[in-house]
Amino acid sequence: MRRRRFPWFSYLVVILGGVAMVMPFLDMLMSSFKGAGEYGVIPYQFLPKSFGLDNYKAAFDQLELGRLFRNSVIVTVSVTVSVLVTSSMAGYALAKLRFRGRAVIFRFILATMMLPPFLLLIPTFLIMLNWPLAGGNDILGRGGDGGLTTSLIALILPFTVSGFGIFLMRQFMVSLPDEMLEAAKIDGANQWQTWRLIVLPQTKPVAITLGLITFIGQWNEYIWTLLISSSDPSLQTLPVGIQLLQSFLDPDRTMPIVMAGLVLSTLPVLVVFLLFQKYYVRGVVLSGLK
Amino acid sequence: MTTAVQVRTAPVTVAKRPALHREGRAAYLFLAPSLLFFCVFLILPFIFAVVLAFSDWGGFDLGTIKFAGIKNFSDVLSFDGTFVKPILVNTLLFAFGSVVMATVGSVLVAYCIDRLSFQGFWRVLYFLPVVATVVAIGNVWKMMYQPAGLINGILNKLGVNSIGFLSDASYALPSVTVVHAWASIGGAVLILTAGLKAIPGMYYEAAEVDGANSWHMFWQITLPLLRPSLLFVLITQFIAGLQSFALIIVMTGDGGPVNATNVAAFEMYQQAFKFGAWGTASAMAMVLFVVIFVITLLQLWIARRRGEETS
Repeated sequence: MRRRRFPWFSYLVVILGGVAMVMPFLDMLMSSFKGAGEYGVIPYQFLPKSFGLDNYKAAFDQLELGRLFRNSVIVTVSVTVSVLVTSSMAGYALAKLRFRGRAVIFRFILATMMLPPFLLLIPTFLIMLNWPLAGGNDILGRGGDGGLTTSLIALILPFTVSGFGIFLMRQFMVSLPDEMLEAAKIDGANQWQTWRLIVLPQTKPVAITLGLITFIGQWNEYIWTLLISSSDPSLQTLPVGIQLLQSFLDPDRTMPIVMAGLVLSTLPVLVVFLLFQKYYVRGVVLSGLK
Repeated sequence: MTTAVQVRTAPVTVAKRPALHREGRAAYLFLAPSLLFFCVFLILPFIFAVVLAFSDWGGFDLGTIKFAGIKNFSDVLSFDGTFVKPILVNTLLFAFGSVVMATVGSVLVAYCIDRLSFQGFWRVLYFLPVVATVVAIGNVWKMMYQPAGLINGILNKLGVNSIGFLSDASYALPSVTVVHAWASIGGAVLILTAGLKAIPGMYYEAAEVDGANSWHMFWQITLPLLRPSLLFVLITQFIAGLQSFALIIVMTGDGGPVNATNVAAFEMYQQAFKFGAWGTASAMAMVLFVVIFVITLLQLWIARRRGEETS
């Protein structure tokens, strides 16, 4: 809005709100430096006595951050790559190819976004547990101990396709000019080559958007990972591991060590987000304008 | 003439058909991974969820599953149990409270950001909680709520006694609701600022010529024209609020003190994975799904009726 006067009221609101937004993160950062006897004392002190890195070292040793980090990276990268590939394939078919059932399938993809995840939580867990011919199960999915729930695959498989991703890709690809695809066809390219060599390079901006949303969402995924890793702690990712390993920490400074672990586990997503925030913001806005 | 046209069109359609046929086959190959996924991880679990809700089953052997009719639902919805009151009531209070706080907050903030410079910076600032994991958010706020934490520290400075935000049963639910609202403002601000950008500036200029102040402009121009984005924010936030429980696991562990922060999706989780009561848990999931569905329809219906009145 174009106003001539200095918008002091707006500055006041936005800055006060901004302090409320940032304060918890500052408190997290400051607490991550507090030593034994400094945390949990009344009266509350915002600043730590020193900015030593003891808690960060303890987080690496006692929280096993290295192992958690490895799991987080494997799961997040696999899911992101898979969502990008499957979404761009399905999006291309729905946007540019003519075939019987296209309208029905597109409506079905939209409907998949309406089903809340909690509804599918129990049956999905039972399906993974009774997966045929996995983890010692017989062909009917019986007899084994754990089925597919005993490896990192359990954390990846249920997230490999995204209805939202297909929708986003389809909406973007619809606006690609048909002439370009016709030209590729005349030059003798088959559908696979057209998708791979002509369409994919054009979808870079929306691919970055979808990749970011998927990456950040999966890095922070909590409920499913908590469930799967409850029987096998070696499957924990950063958020779940940090939450569950609290009881094994030095009790004098449990919270400060947890805070150090959280600072370290938040940094990668924060950096990725700040680098590409323009794309992320556009994705959220796009999803809001459907 | 007509015969000539027929003669000419006939070969074209014949030539076109195999091409279309090939295109159809290619399309289904491109769609195959996604459709296969949805069969295994969406349609199958959905059917399974419905079956479970009407069954009596514990353990893991599918051979022992028994049809139970509506017994699970009558158990769950019985007023003697804990599911309707306090759990479902908590869920509605949690969702409604956080939606109201987040919506009022985000409308105000988005409206103010829209009049400032460095809008990108402000939006990113409000968006930070959306990027952080629920474990970070939950633990930091848990820490800030403690007697020796930041918030009680400020209260003590102001001469107010410490409050047991999470330990006092009457404060616990509002305390987690505030955190959920705080964490969801950022997403709403993004969508609302995009909505504000779409309002033509000439409306404001015309209103200014007519002598309207910013208060009038906000109520008479901004809010009515923001309605589509606002409706989207309300509906998605309500859906998210009604099913969210990760924050509650992190902040209160078991939905305590004494069920004060227990919500429907969390109770479902506990019934299923702590007690192995698949049937009861699935019935709870169905009830919550219906509640979400009805509330969403209700919002759309109200929005449409109000739309007819004003236009």
